[in-house]
Amino acid sequence: MHSHLWLILALPLGAGILVGLFGKLLKGQSHWPVILGAAGACGISLHALWQLHGHHDSVSLLQTDTLPWFSAGGVSVGLRLAIDPLSAVMLTAITFIGTWIAIYSAGYMHGDPGYPRYFAVFSGFVFSMCGLVLTDNLLVLYGFWEGVGICSYLLIGFWFAKPTAAAAARKAFLVTRLGDAGFALGIFLLWSKFGTLSLPTLFETVRGQPVEPILTTACLLLFCGAVGKSAQFPLHVWLPDAMEGPTPASALIHAATMVTAGVYLVARCMPLFVLAPTALVVVAGIGAFTALLAALIALTQHDLKRVMAYSTVSQLGYMFAALGCGQGKLAAFAVTAALFHLFTHAFFKALLFLASGSVMHAMGGVIDMRRIGGLRKALPITHATFACGAFALAGLPPLSGFWSKDEILAVSQEATHGDVFAAIYLCVFAALLMTALLTAFYTSRAYFRTFWGKEVIPPEAGSHGHDHHNDHHVAVVAHESPAVMTVPLMVLAAGAVLVGGALAVNHVFGHFVENTPDFLKYFAVHEHHANYVLMAVSTVLAMFGIVSAYFVYVVKPGTADVIASRAPALHRLSLNRFYFDEIYAVIAAGPLAALAVISKVFDMLIDGIVDAVGRLPRLFGGLLRPVQNGLVQFYALAMLLGLTVFIAILAFAR
Amino acid sequence: MSVPLGHSLTVGAALFVLGAVGFLTRRNLITLFLCAELMLQGVALNLVAFASHHGHLHGQAFALFIVTVAACEAGLALALILMLYRSRKSLDVSLWQDLRDPDLEPTLDVERLPAPPAEEAQPILAVAGRLPPPRIEGGGDA
Repeated sequence: MHSHLWLILALPLGAGILVGLFGKLLKGQSHWPVILGAAGACGISLHALWQLHGHHDSVSLLQTDTLPWFSAGGVSVGLRLAIDPLSAVMLTAITFIGTWIAIYSAGYMHGDPGYPRYFAVFSGFVFSMCGLVLTDNLLVLYGFWEGVGICSYLLIGFWFAKPTAAAAARKAFLVTRLGDAGFALGIFLLWSKFGTLSLPTLFETVRGQPVEPILTTACLLLFCGAVGKSAQFPLHVWLPDAMEGPTPASALIHAATMVTAGVYLVARCMPLFVLAPTALVVVAGIGAFTALLAALIALTQHDLKRVMAYSTVSQLGYMFAALGCGQGKLAAFAVTAALFHLFTHAFFKALLFLASGSVMHAMGGVIDMRRIGGLRKALPITHATFACGAFALAGLPPLSGFWSKDEILAVSQEATHGDVFAAIYLCVFAALLMTALLTAFYTSRAYFRTFWGKEVIPPEAGSHGHDHHNDHHVAVVAHESPAVMTVPLMVLAAGAVLVGGALAVNHVFGHFVENTPDFLKYFAVHEHHANYVLMAVSTVLAMFGIVSAYFVYVVKPGTADVIASRAPALHRLSLNRFYFDEIYAVIAAGPLAALAVISKVFDMLIDGIVDAVGRLPRLFGGLLRPVQNGLVQFYALAMLLGLTVFIAILAFAR
Repeated sequence: MSVPLGHSLTVGAALFVLGAVGFLTRRNLITLFLCAELMLQGVALNLVAFASHHGHLHGQAFALFIVTVAACEAGLALALILMLYRSRKSLDVSLWQDLRDPDLEPTLDVERLPAPPAEEAQPILAVAGRLPPPRIEGGGDA
């Protein structure tokens, strides 16, 4: 048994409680426990990864004893931590990136009045996310799933005095709740049908009996939870608004880790999904559609962070599309491709967010690309690291995004040769190729518009929103961020550049993840072979996207407006995010608001009745109240008369 | 030669009723207190009478207790009355109505109380060892 695994949970939890309780004392030092806790968890995770990497053929699983949580009737739920290669990969990404983002946050959040609160919630998030990854029980997983949800809510609404932030937090919470409701139903369905919530047992049980159509329904319900958490169509609307939170929190939660929890869930439950081909094709379809849709929206957004948010939605769609392609013997390939992209994406997207945060920090909170530009001289380190992230995202070889995206394209292409739903998979493949091109274009657009062209610096620069050393005599001077922020940028940039290539060589990553016991048991062995034609195509697409963005935004800066005026309808659709918010406002929020009004009226009615009942004793009491007039002699008289009556009754009423 | 029970009880009842009537009708705090004491002693007398009637000492023990407690109570009550007097410069019991129901108006006298009788002049004693001030007959010029 490996009871030291509990430390992975205990360190961030302890740090979070410490900072939460004693934040008033720690004040500006609140980051220390959190950074140390995350770093400790990271160390243990890396150690576990190394141990798992060591034995190739035996069962790759580290686990702890089971702590009983509760048992009622036929169900007993225990808390047990299990690290297999799948969770080890997730865990490493979470704790490693989490540590560096915590360090970055110490610089970014410096001087904010809510400094301890930020770090307490941050640590709570790391704890919940690790718990989500480590458990092998669906119900416990659901608990941690809600835990990351509440931390996300708290961090989006971190500046809760700002109405937009409060609204965004509420929206994120409510929209993900829709998905979570489906997830809960899926868990109930699985339990009522198969009588267990432990995932390994569940996979075993499912294979012993006829399961259709229950399993397809259950898988779709589980996927419903993933759709909410990972912001897939039709529940993608919350993620872009979630950018109201502090940028490092967005980087960790809404780019690198929490939003990938849905991908992890589907990957973890893949032994169920392979038995439900219909559910898989839905996953692929929704993923590909979301990828394309979000990429189209990202083309025209002006807010740098919003571009990144839509890019995240799009890349998550990519991962789901890959998972959905895992029909039959492709299952192992699909999971490794999705997980590989998840892993590399966590690095370069966290990097892009942190770099955007650095831009925001320097520009005094301005992030609108129409008001900034040509910053490559003013912010050299931010520029260089952002470029690493952007080109990794665009899929330029040999940066890490290229390798993982290529794997996904390869698996979707192989799926088109399968026996089931070939036509649909062809559409998925086409959508993914199109998305690859669009991704390269919009990423480069953001990069060129922010860092190239004429230098434009807004007047707010230099007077950062929560900057405590406010120099009044300094004019508009954009300053590079301090080392505490640039070092994490450089570390993550190194990751964004190197991780993909290093792990793609000899398919190290693929072999490692395939060693997950559940996958070894239920999936056919997959032969890895490089698809050079596809690599060439994706390289050409990426290059084309980047070059055309360079042409449109640097060589002839007016071109974008010309193109927009040629296709005004499309431009307006994209700019207004395909009117999803407006449509939801009418079809979902409107009726709910009406229901709320009706409920309010009903509540007033009920309240009126209850209040009326409450007033009755008061009314009767009013009759007796004059007795309490405060006169001693009146009381004495009352006593005397009462006593007289009492004695008279005693004496005469025998 | 024992006093018949009826006589003792009559005296006790008379004391009690006098006290009760006094308590209900007078306004002066000290008088009220004295009336209460009167009622108490009426009851004590009853106890003694019954004890003597039954031929044991239980009632006497009670009466002793009552006397003791009444002494303590007198000390406390007079101290309280002194404090009350200090705060309002009056001994009128109707000035203290503060514990009535918050919504009620204070109870006021329908007709005003008669003015207190003028105090009689107290004899002034001369300080020892000094001649009294000369008395001037017919007032006026020295």
